[in-house]
Amino acid sequence: MKRRIKWLIPVVGLLMVAAACSSGGGGAKASCDGTIDDDTLTVWVHEGSEATAYVELIDDFNASGAGVTIELTQVPEAGYTDAVNAAAAAGDLPDVIDFDGPTLANFAWAGSIVSIDECITDEVKDNLLPSIIQAGTYNDSLYSVGTFDSGLGLWAWKSALEEVGARIPANAGDAWSAEEFEKIMKDLQAAGYEHPLDIKIFYGTQGEWMTYGFAPIVWSAGADLVDRDSLKAEGVLNTDEAVAALTTFQNWASDGLIATQATDDSVFTNKESPISWVGHWMFNPYKEAVGDDLVLLPLPDFGKGTRTGMGSWAWAVTSASTDGDAAWKFLEFAVSDSTILKITEANGAVPATESALAKDPNYAEGGALVLFKEQLAGAPDIAVPRPVTPGYPTVTAEFFGAMDDILIGMADVKATLDDAAAAIDADVDDNDGYPAP
Amino acid sequence: MTTVDTRGAEPATGAPTTKKRGGADRSEARIAWLFLAPAGILLLLFIVAPFVLAIIFSFTNQRLISPLPTKFIGLDNYVGQLTDGLFWKSLWNNARFSIFVVPFQTAFALFLAVLVNQKIRGKTAFRTIFFTPVTVVMAAAATIWVLLFNANGLVNAALELITFGNFSPDWLNSTTWAMPAIIIVSVWQGVGFQMIILLAALQDVPSELYEAASIDGATTWEQFMNVTLPGIRNPLIFVVTVTTILAMRLFDQPMLMPNAAGGPLDSTRTAMVHMVDIGFSRQNIGRGSAIAVIFFVIVLGLTLLQRRFLKEEGEV
Repeated sequence: MKRRIKWLIPVVGLLMVAAACSSGGGGAKASCDGTIDDDTLTVWVHEGSEATAYVELIDDFNASGAGVTIELTQVPEAGYTDAVNAAAAAGDLPDVIDFDGPTLANFAWAGSIVSIDECITDEVKDNLLPSIIQAGTYNDSLYSVGTFDSGLGLWAWKSALEEVGARIPANAGDAWSAEEFEKIMKDLQAAGYEHPLDIKIFYGTQGEWMTYGFAPIVWSAGADLVDRDSLKAEGVLNTDEAVAALTTFQNWASDGLIATQATDDSVFTNKESPISWVGHWMFNPYKEAVGDDLVLLPLPDFGKGTRTGMGSWAWAVTSASTDGDAAWKFLEFAVSDSTILKITEANGAVPATESALAKDPNYAEGGALVLFKEQLAGAPDIAVPRPVTPGYPTVTAEFFGAMDDILIGMADVKATLDDAAAAIDADVDDNDGYPAP
Repeated sequence: MTTVDTRGAEPATGAPTTKKRGGADRSEARIAWLFLAPAGILLLLFIVAPFVLAIIFSFTNQRLISPLPTKFIGLDNYVGQLTDGLFWKSLWNNARFSIFVVPFQTAFALFLAVLVNQKIRGKTAFRTIFFTPVTVVMAAAATIWVLLFNANGLVNAALELITFGNFSPDWLNSTTWAMPAIIIVSVWQGVGFQMIILLAALQDVPSELYEAASIDGATTWEQFMNVTLPGIRNPLIFVVTVTTILAMRLFDQPMLMPNAAGGPLDSTRTAMVHMVDIGFSRQNIGRGSAIAVIFFVIVLGLTLLQRRFLKEEGEV
């Protein structure tokens, strides 16, 4: 017996050393000296609505004669962040990753991604939308650039709204109040649309949807997910205003106004549910199904004016990258106007640079997506960034868990938010308040 | 512990026999270790070492990725878990699932095995049909069943037809019916495998016993109770044990079928789902490890209890 245990000691020791080595600190910088030393670059991307466009982007880059060749790995969107974390823990990260915006602080804090301050040129930086710079910044350093920003709103069949004589808001300042929206939905219900509002319930909670999509309700009520300084949620997330707004939302679900049984996009494209609460990525499919009858409207106002989401998938250089110049070469290509326009044409997102935005007809005067531009320009008062906190994985897990309990489980809203706030705060305490690196 | 010993004969009394062994035995032992080595090293690396690590981590605040140093925090993770209502709820959900699935699935498997063991035309076709779900990846099956269990789905359409519209629950969105839905899928997927094991066992029961029984005037039911059941006792115990262990590690279905993993309102959250949520999604490896260790002790205890009360007869 004794002999066998002896064997274990070196094995366990080795594994612990391996585990210890992988946990580096945050705050490192990618070094850019202007010369490319490594001509192959490994890149991970999520497989979402941009999947094909990403593959084309990589092909274009490889064909562009930049002197760097990319090996691409596509990872399913649902488990993407977990996959990156697992790779980071195992010391197995690629050179460059794309990642969902709000995870930035967690990755940067943990040291999985490195700052690109040394690599980015002023010319590129000045051309990027302020919202992109803001989303890519943690602790005063820039860590990421995005090819696009996001837009969230209500898509509707204009003819259905006209059928019940609904007022059609012209811009974000003109958003329906929650009561007005409720009345319109009830009118639509009376007009034969059994469940007028589609909220993409079938996206489930594997990804970020329920936080991205419904945190605006909390913001619009004057509350927030966490305090932006202390990173804690008690007294911030579970305020009376947030409870009231989410109770209203819950009532819409229990009154059948929300299509909680939807299993795919057809409830909207077949006009069974003529209003759809979703982001830019549905623009092309909806445009194709609805045609000129499609309108984009701001989310309802739960008290303090309409609020919406911002931030999207972005590119970052990881701590495993050996050559900052090669990685930056690709990032620079990813935020060039021609690349941006190709991708935003595919996914309907907001182009990440001023110059590309100016070239996109959807954002010109009278264009179909002008509202998104207006909302982002109004950031952080209309479009609100999700909290920049290394504790974000717990914040989002608690919030979408709470949303599921509220919408599906019909749980008491106050108790649910109290529990979520307590769990978020416990996580902050467990991590010594997430001290900046 | 089975040793490779061709001399046999000696009863395993634990007496020190090594001294009496000659050089030939020592070289045999060496060869035995050599043959054991590949499997042994893999087991050590992928089963034993991670488990030892889990025990070590469970006494620390180890994070999945973090710049903060790992600290030894004693029993905090264990105390935290054992006083957490959600952890007990997860265990209760495991228990709920097992209490239904183990007897029901075993009985159903036996029923199917007896059915396809009859000398009827097309029995191979039936065997294939009953076994097919086993070959389907659980994750894929779960995804399809989500559509079938939709409030307006196929399952409810059939139920409404049978019950004249009196019974059509919103399966996966209901705290009452989400677990039964998962149980149904699990039995559907798992029963074929147990059926095959029991079928093999049934065919091992000597036909003379049935002949003798029928000469003695035993009815079919009496034959089943007194010939068939004792004849397949050991495989039956094996099936019960394996089903229990598989039931305890229920994960895919509650992860994929409800809108939120383990939902609604944690009514399908199992210990495995809870562990992955804490350890991975919330990146708290230390606490996740504590859950793993507690859960291991529970499953081990259950298995030992079963071994004690359901003694296998003879050699297996």
